Amino acid sequence: MDSFFLYLGMGLFTLVFLCLYRSVFGPGVLNRIAAISAIGTKTLVILLLMGFIYNRVEMFIDISMVYALLNFIGTITAAKYLEMKGEV
Amino acid sequence: MTSVTDDIIIRAVARIMIPFIQLYALYVIMHGHHSPGGGFQGGVILGASFILYLLTHGLEEAKIRMSEIKAGLFSSFGVLIYSGIGLLCLILGSNYLDYGKLSTILKVVPAQARSLGILGVEIGVGIAVMAVMFSIFFDISTGGELPEDEE
Repeated sequence: MDSFFLYLGMGLFTLVFLCLYRSVFGPGVLNRIAAISAIGTKTLVILLLMGFIYNRVEMFIDISMVYALLNFIGTITAAKYLEMKGEV
Repeated sequence: MTSVTDDIIIRAVARIMIPFIQLYALYVIMHGHHSPGGGFQGGVILGASFILYLLTHGLEEAKIRMSEIKAGLFSSFGVLIYSGIGLLCLILGSNYLDYGKLSTILKVVPAQARSLGILGVEIGVGIAVMAVMFSIFFDISTGGELPEDEE
C-alpha cells in the first residue's frame, strides 16, 4: 500500500509542474490565480499521502489543514485585489 | 484592500469559517507540545482569521472587532505574559523561563509545572503574534494613515 501512495504522490508531483507552467506563462491573472489555488490543493493531498507513508497521519492532517486555510485566504486576497484593480 | 465587498457568498463563507479557524488556532496553541504547532503557528492562524474578517467585511466593521489600538494593547499584553512567566521563574530563584520552580506556587509536581509553564508562554506568544500580524496587515491596507484620526 505504501508504494501505491508513493506513486500517487509522484503523479501529483508531476501535475504540480503543469500547474506551475500555467501560473508562470498563463495568459491573464485569472489563470494564474486558479493555477496557484490548484497547486495548493495538490500540495495538501501530497502532505496527506506523506502522512500515510510515514504512518503519522494525525500529525500531517494538522499541517495540511493550515495549508488549506492559508490557500483559501490567499485566493480571497488575490480576488479582492483583482476586484479593486477593476480589470480581468 | 479596505473597501466593503457586496458579494454575499464571500461574506457568508467568511462568517461560517471564521469561528472554526479561531477554534483550530486555539487547538494549535494548546496542543503545541504534542503535535506540530505552538504559540507562533497558532497565533498566525488566529491572525489570519482576523485578516479574513478585514478582507471580507471591510475596514469599518473590522475596526469594531479589532482596532489598531486594541492590536497594540494585545501585542504588549502577550509579551507581558511571556516575560512575566519568565521573570516569575527568576524571582522564585531559578533560571529565566525555567518552569520547574513554578511548582511551589502552583502546588503541583515539577513535571506538571513545566507543562503548565510552557502552555502559559505559548498563550502569550500566540496573543502577541496574532496582534502583530493583524497590525502589520492593518498598516499595509490603510497605507499607514488611519482615516478616523482627527488632527
